[in-house]
Amino acid sequence: MSTAVTVYVTYGLFALGGLGVYLLMPRIGRSTRGAGAIFGMAALAGLLGLCTQWLAVGGVDVLFYVSAIVALVASVKMITHTMPVYSALYFVLVVLAVTPLLLLQEAEFLAVALVIVYAGAILVTYVFVIMLSQQTPPPTCDRRAREPFVAVLAGFLTMSMVASQIVRWTGSTKTVESLAASATVEGGADNTTAIGTLLVSDYLAAFELAGVLLLIAMIGAIAVSRKRVPKHPVVEAAEPPGMIGRSVPPY
Amino acid sequence: MPSVTAYMILGSLLFALGLVGFLSRRNLIVVFLSTELMFQGVLVNFVAMGSLRGQLNGQIFALHLLVIAAVEAGVALGLVVYLYRRKATLDTESWSGMWG
Repeated sequence: MSTAVTVYVTYGLFALGGLGVYLLMPRIGRSTRGAGAIFGMAALAGLLGLCTQWLAVGGVDVLFYVSAIVALVASVKMITHTMPVYSALYFVLVVLAVTPLLLLQEAEFLAVALVIVYAGAILVTYVFVIMLSQQTPPPTCDRRAREPFVAVLAGFLTMSMVASQIVRWTGSTKTVESLAASATVEGGADNTTAIGTLLVSDYLAAFELAGVLLLIAMIGAIAVSRKRVPKHPVVEAAEPPGMIGRSVPPY
Repeated sequence: MPSVTAYMILGSLLFALGLVGFLSRRNLIVVFLSTELMFQGVLVNFVAMGSLRGQLNGQIFALHLLVIAAVEAGVALGLVVYLYRRKATLDTESWSGMWG
């Protein structure tokens, strides 16, 4: 398949995928999730079929396909689910599906750091905050997406532009080079040792700045959470969703 | 082994799905979760581009991106808790008092 044909096929597949995601968005009225799932699966199958032409010699890599499918399906379910706890748990699944993709590129330290830091700390914090802000009955803000058509259009237009250029310029069979065999990696053959050496030699300033950034963020988060909250009498009034907060006196 | 093109398209697709979720959901927590999904897409892209050149620069950048994501999650969730304590709702449209 020539490059120009591949680009147009990519556009078509993303239009199909955009239609699928738009139909999967939460809405009031008749549920269109069945049709959305069908279009989304068709677009995903088409994309993975397109990926087969970019496989280098070495055959099919099942782990890439499985983790790519799991990551994409989990991320679509994350953005279209009506309950935020499920969104957080589907995002944990996305992180766990991105980890094999990193392992395939011989980035072991980053893969394990992703699981420990992202899935183990950041998302646990998200689940804590969701539990702290539980609302019974389930809030109306989750039952309808806000301007889903414009959002899907913006996202998939961006995606089409980026993907068409990726397809055009990165070529068809440029493989991911094996880093262990590469001569430019200094500081040891082990990925962790090499990253550690680089962090304290070439990227020392960035490493220290990252620590300072963490300290400043911790101070900021403590400062924000210590503010006294003024009591508003409107909290217990049940107002229609468009009018919530409209009658609150200014600060 | 799959080529760089496949990894970069996957990374951009994760980014685009995060963008769609960020623009279309009204729950504050899901908006921030979509931001984290955008971070995931960028992370996959960084590591793929680093592997394309056979260097570790992509992974170092991705590690710093992890730090920034943790920082953003901490501060953002502090703000979400504060906003929830003020109005007992997570709806972003309840804070739209500056419209019109």
